[in-house]
Amino acid sequence: MRSSISSFKKRLRLPRLFFRKPSREEEIHGGPPLEFMRPIPPVPWRGITVAVVLVVLGATMAWEVYCRSLGYGPTLNDNEDLWTLRRRHVAPESLVVIGDSRGWYDVDLDEIQKGLGKRPIQLSMGGSCAYPVLQDLANDQTFHGTIICSFVPRLFLAPPGTPPAERGEKAVHRFHNQTLAQRVSEYLAFPLEEHVAFLNQQDLTLDDYLNKLPFQNRPDALLPPRLPPYFGTVDRERRARMIQKCAEPNSELAHRIQQIWIPLFTPPPPPSYIPEEVFFAQMNKAIEERFRDVTAAVEKIRARGGKIVFVRFPNSGDLKALEDRDTPRERTWEPLLKMTRAPGIYYSDFPDLAGFNCPEWSHLSAGDSVEFSKRLLPHLRAALGM
Amino acid sequence: MLFNSLTFVVFFALVVALYWSIHGWKLRKNLLVSASYIFYGAWNPPFAVLLFATTAMDFWLGRQIAKAQTPPGKRRWLVASVCMNLSMLGFFKYGNFLLQNFQWLIERFGIIYRPPHLDILLPVGISFYTFHSLSYTLDIYRGVLKPTRSLRDFVLAVSFFPQLVAGPIVRAGDFLPQLVNPPTLKVGQFCWGLLLMTLGLFEKVVLADTLLSGSADHVFSYPGPLVALDSWLGVMAFAGQIFFDFAGYSACAIGAALCLGFHLKDNFRFPYAAIGFSDFWRRWHISLSTFLRDYLYIPLGGNQVRPVRATSNLVIVMFVGGLWHGAAWTFVVWGLLHGSYLVIERVVRIFCTDLRWLNNPIGWAAGGVATLFGVCIAWVFFRAPDFAVASRMLSGMFGGHARGDAILSTREIVQVGSVVCGMIAAHWLLRDSSIEIAVTRLPRWVIASTWAFMACAIIFNQGHGNAFIYFQF
Repeated sequence: MRSSISSFKKRLRLPRLFFRKPSREEEIHGGPPLEFMRPIPPVPWRGITVAVVLVVLGATMAWEVYCRSLGYGPTLNDNEDLWTLRRRHVAPESLVVIGDSRGWYDVDLDEIQKGLGKRPIQLSMGGSCAYPVLQDLANDQTFHGTIICSFVPRLFLAPPGTPPAERGEKAVHRFHNQTLAQRVSEYLAFPLEEHVAFLNQQDLTLDDYLNKLPFQNRPDALLPPRLPPYFGTVDRERRARMIQKCAEPNSELAHRIQQIWIPLFTPPPPPSYIPEEVFFAQMNKAIEERFRDVTAAVEKIRARGGKIVFVRFPNSGDLKALEDRDTPRERTWEPLLKMTRAPGIYYSDFPDLAGFNCPEWSHLSAGDSVEFSKRLLPHLRAALGM
Repeated sequence: MLFNSLTFVVFFALVVALYWSIHGWKLRKNLLVSASYIFYGAWNPPFAVLLFATTAMDFWLGRQIAKAQTPPGKRRWLVASVCMNLSMLGFFKYGNFLLQNFQWLIERFGIIYRPPHLDILLPVGISFYTFHSLSYTLDIYRGVLKPTRSLRDFVLAVSFFPQLVAGPIVRAGDFLPQLVNPPTLKVGQFCWGLLLMTLGLFEKVVLADTLLSGSADHVFSYPGPLVALDSWLGVMAFAGQIFFDFAGYSACAIGAALCLGFHLKDNFRFPYAAIGFSDFWRRWHISLSTFLRDYLYIPLGGNQVRPVRATSNLVIVMFVGGLWHGAAWTFVVWGLLHGSYLVIERVVRIFCTDLRWLNNPIGWAAGGVATLFGVCIAWVFFRAPDFAVASRMLSGMFGGHARGDAILSTREIVQVGSVVCGMIAAHWLLRDSSIEIAVTRLPRWVIASTWAFMACAIIFNQGHGNAFIYFQF
């Protein structure tokens, strides 16, 4: 009877060599002849490698000097992994700051700690909607602490699937799914990012440089508005501080950022593929749902003994006018407080909070954020009953 | 652990330093096994146990196959191995997909059944290591491999960290013989390995993630109709992205293995210069296509059977290839499209016996363009999350949305156009050559400056630590 192996040999029509007497290696492992060896290009590798190492070292140092000469300093990159590290610090009774970049830049952790007796954990994110983080804290059965939630209507009410909502969702997802390797990478990145300026991912990546190329776009192209350049530093506690170059009077950088906020905060036209009335109906439905979801999340936290206070941080100039016009407080802030029955602090309601000027119209300078936090404390204590 | 992460840089430097400083070969192999399990466990430690369990099971089953005296006895043990591996793959990868399709099917008969959604976490690289492990028992059954005596060696063959999670699919028969004698540290081999790793990371971090992925994601996630230019650029960007992502991973894997003294075979051979679809599959994901050829196509009879049967064999193999990539019908359609391309090509070859008129540069170019066109159409189904997106994309590509939206900036158009054209030109230049031959012919200063340029581009660009696309498979 023919064995299956011999028929297999016939079918494959393997060369005679394949069935020669096996070598020692094949005797042990029974493998096919070890014929495969990757060819190595015959070039002087030692010299080439040394040259490459020297060139790369030199280029890296030159690039670092160049970046510093442009005004960039070392800062941690704020990403989901850094956020996750802070999120892990949230204990059942923690004091947590959530929301957008105003809660991130304008809250000084030292002042809040001095005034409330607890060091806040900074979980706000630039350009982010607070809801995913609020929902995550509400679903955390152990959490019954205090939340300071920054409120910028356009971000807070951003519907699911938009960049602000996705930013928060990504961070929460990373917190629940972060791998050991990602965690280690973040710890390894700390010393590098704290000492090397060119690792700033806000402005100095290839993508950022390509974005600056002066190409004329098609007149009908639907392109997202630009994001602002680097104007702040972040430390390991995720305390964001505006850089001096942006905070100084008549700063060119601040003027540039002001012109970026306007299109970024202007509502985009309805998409071409949905009838206008359907689009606006969908948007209104999404806003109502957001209010309902936020109310449910606040109720959950409150049921466990937790507290929340919404804070409207200062804005200035044309951006304030734009926000007041497109997202007036009677359609955003007041329904929120009414539905959630939560306390709120609207900066312009209080003379001691109303006098601040945002250099680039949206955030306080590092110095002002300290003073603002100091003045915010009595209002926080009153709102939270502390 | 991702190749494009700081953790891997530190991990690899430590492993290489320790590996070459240890003298005992057994100790070195133990180090590699430990490193491989740390590499895998850094993602999700419990799945390292699953990896070990399936490996140990196949080790034992391989011995049983060899011990069995009769072909039916051997077959029984092989069936046990195949069932064990495929059921593991089926549960983790296809569990929800099968349930959803079962639900859909019985609804056709009027039975309403709502299966619970199984919250199954897919072990990263399960499709790859299952095939690594399965090749062992299949080769023992085929009689081309004897079972190894060492569990440690087999564990290392399956879990060797450079190729563990995203290939190439290294057969045990190709790797085990390399574990007999200790490799020696050769400067040329080590440096060439480092250069390949730099090339792989450059392809991934700079070309795939920075220059192409944004446009591809932008186009495929846009919910409205698009004009033809943007639709085509999105597809071309994805064609480039997936090549650079996967070929980049393979280059890193081959380079890392070389630094440790091991030789892995090529997984890509300039596929976008293919003339015809059989040629494409000899150049794209070679380790998968040869795996399917040797363990599925040939056992089904290959092309040594009647033409109709041979044709159906091709379609079956490509169906399995499509499904291997993911639990979704879009992947199946991708596989079936490639199957039908291969069938059409075969029919053309049968009926047009004299193809000498095609054997000139114009004929090659026409064949290459036609192949690339077919491949790009298939990529639409590979990338689209569902058929609605795929049909919208195809409609846009063929001018179905005359008043569609334009969403790519001029910078993105120029960027995608130049990277993709450069990629295709490089593939055609090197199509009958290899990267080793190309490097040998280059002046030394060009090698050094290209290597330095790639390294600087990786360092300055930083990247965002995006996972490789093939991790999900």
